[in-house]
Order: sequence, then structure tokens, then C-alpha cells
Amino acid sequence: MMSSVPGPDKKTKLLVYTIEECPVCGQKTKRAFTVGDYVTKDGAKCTKCSNQTRVSLVYAEGTKPSG
Amino acid sequence: MLSGNVLQALGIDSNTIFLIFWVGFFFVTFFYQARLQSYMALNDISRGLNKLKLMRDKARKEAIDYLVNVGKTTNDPTQRVDQFLDYVTIMPVDIDPAGLVGKIDHVVTTNNDRVRAEVGTLLGQNNPVTVSISENLLEVATSLNAIHKIVRHFYLLGKKTNSYITLLQLQMLMPMIIQEADALLNAVDSFKLGQPVGDGIGPVIVSRYMAGKEKRAVAKDTVMAITEYKGRKLYVLKADGPMAYVGQPGVAIKKIMGDMGVKPSAIVMIDAALKLEGEKTGEIAEGVGAAIGGIGVEKFQIEEAATNAKVPLYAILVKQSLLEAITVMRKEIAEAADKASQVLNRVIEEKTKEGDDVVVAGIGNTLGVAQ
Repeated sequence: MMSSVPGPDKKTKLLVYTIEECPVCGQKTKRAFTVGDYVTKDGAKCTKCSNQTRVSLVYAEGTKPSG
Repeated sequence: MLSGNVLQALGIDSNTIFLIFWVGFFFVTFFYQARLQSYMALNDISRGLNKLKLMRDKARKEAIDYLVNVGKTTNDPTQRVDQFLDYVTIMPVDIDPAGLVGKIDHVVTTNNDRVRAEVGTLLGQNNPVTVSISENLLEVATSLNAIHKIVRHFYLLGKKTNSYITLLQLQMLMPMIIQEADALLNAVDSFKLGQPVGDGIGPVIVSRYMAGKEKRAVAKDTVMAITEYKGRKLYVLKADGPMAYVGQPGVAIKKIMGDMGVKPSAIVMIDAALKLEGEKTGEIAEGVGAAIGGIGVEKFQIEEAATNAKVPLYAILVKQSLLEAITVMRKEIAEAADKASQVLNRVIEEKTKEGDDVVVAGIGNTLGVAQ
């Protein structure tokens, strides 16, 4: 489920992302946050070296309204 | 035309009319200015009060919906939630301040235990994340209920006593009260989804030092791991995540330095700090002292333990607004984690030497941040 919350100025929407990081090669993958994600949770296999990734950050980023 | 003729017959020209108007205007503003401003203040406050009521109702509804849909309550929780909103915590008397912190700690701990026990009985499951989120949602609804009641009290008091000064003060405070209430309401979305909040930046940073290490409980809802950094032994602690806990870092530090007999060369605390208007979100500030908010009990315990053992307290702060601290973590705050980790490493290297013990505490709500 893609999570979005109103931004501080009410016009921008904040989209929430989960960052998965490979502890071996440092490769970072950004994907939409899903309920149940938390920092240090095991993520998917690394696309570069196939090692187990871990969630390193969960954060919200503002999207500018179009028009 | 007829009215013009009548005025002419009475000997009143346009200059006289203007004069009467200005005299009337002067009379009204001179004698009724305060009453007019009271009327305008009452209107302003009334609008704000309606907003606060809507916010309170929304937070209450969200809490009930969460208890029913996620918490799987077996009975309708509405009545219990309404009772919960009006529950009060009576702070101890402070006319004899000796031992006051201990008394406050006792009252607050009793209240926290009661909240958890009550939420536990309401829910049809005992998942600790769900229980902690329910606790936080009910606390948000309780806070909004209290804000609404206090503002309503002063509004009605000012109206009843026709107190211009009371109303004016309340009118001036309303924008800030609404802003704070809005921040609380926005926190509901993050809590419901279990997303880390801005206040959780301290736990995010220390969780990196705890990853893969054995964790042990050192206080209620608080865990610690022992790790090493450049020849120093680090005792790293944070609240037990990914639950929405803040833990008891004061009790934990006292235990590490007391029961466990650790003699640290430094205590480093990492926390979110409220920024001043004009400061950038995610800015890092360094300092000395106990970096921890709250009612003051934990801060007192940490300061006492550090002072007794003559251990320096260092603080690393990540700046953010109140809204950012209690809603989903912003990118600017999350990205400050790397910089804050570098600052933490530098502080450890500069302030301690190889073979020393160091206590590192990540302070804040640890929702969505495990270890």
C-alpha cells in the first residue's frame, strides 16, 4: 500500500518510501513503503550481489502539485 | 429628492451630515471599541474552537476504528474510549519539592501501566506493536480532548465575565494552539501505519550500532547491546522497537552505571530537538548536557547518575519542527542520520581513548525502528 500524507503546507503530498540497503556492497534500493516495514527489517535480495538487504530508512518525500 | 428637500427645509446641508457621521463614529469607537473587539475575538475563538472539536472527534474516531479493525476488539470500545479521554493524572504537590521527581515518576509510571493494561483488555490480541500504537492513538485523542476543553473553558469564562483581556489573550494564542493540535492530528496517520516519526532519528542512528549484536532488556521497554568502536566498548541503548515506545533511558543508564558496575568515560545522547523558526530541518547541533525531553524524570535521573560519577554528558541533536517530530520522518531528517553517525564517531574518538567504556543512548519514539 502506497502511503501518502498531507505535507506541512497542505498543498504538497508526502509519499513514504522504504530504503533497503545491502550490508555487503552498500547498494541502496528505494521502494514504496508497505505496512509492516520497519528499520532493520530484512529486505529483498540485493540486485547486485544477491546478499540479504536490510531496511535502513523509512522516510517521506514531498511531491510538488502539478499545474 | 424628497429627503433632500426635507433636509433643506430643516437647514441641514451635506457638511452637517458628515459632521454628524464623524461625531457618531468617534463616539462609538471611543466608548464601544473594547466591546467591538471582544465581539470579533469571540467570533475568532469560536471558529478555532469548532476546528478543535472536529480534530478531537476525528482523533477519537481514528482510535476507535484502529481498535476495532486492527486491534480486533471483541466488544464496542466506544464507551471505554470516552472514559479514557477524560481520565486525569494528578501531579504530586510541589510546595515541598524534596523528592518530587520520585513522586512524579511514581505517578507517571502508574499512569503508563494503567494505560497499557487498559488497552490490553480492550484489544482482542496482544501484538506489542498494535498495543503500543493503540496507546499512542489514545494519547493523541486524550491530548486533543484536553486542548479543546481548556480552550472552551477560557472562551466561555471570557464570554460570561465579558473579560476583554481574557478573550484577547486567547485570540492571540489560537493560531499556535491550532498549529499544535493540527500536528497531533497529523501524527495519527503515521502511528496507524507504524511509520517511523521524526522523533525516532536517535533510535535510527543507534540501531546501526546494535545491528547483529545480542540485545538485552535493561529497563522497561528499553534494550541495550554491547559493541566496540576503535578500541572503545560501547553500551548502546534505545527503546525496544519497532513498538511505539520511548522506554526508560534514565533507569537504563542508572542500571548500567550502578548494577552493572560500568564506569563510562562519556555518555553520548542523540535526540531530536525542536528547531527555532528560520533553522533548517535536519541540521545537526552538538552540545553538552542530557539531550532528552519529556516531563523531566528521565533527564533528572541521567543528570544525577552522570554528576555522581563525574561522567561528561554529550548531546547530538537533529533539528526539526513539532509537526515533523511527531509525523512520518521527513527525508531531510532521515538523511541527517549519516552525518549524525559521523559526529557520534568523532565525539567518541575525541572525548574518549582506547579501552574506555562509553554509553550511547538513542532517545525518542522508536515506532518503526527495530534494533
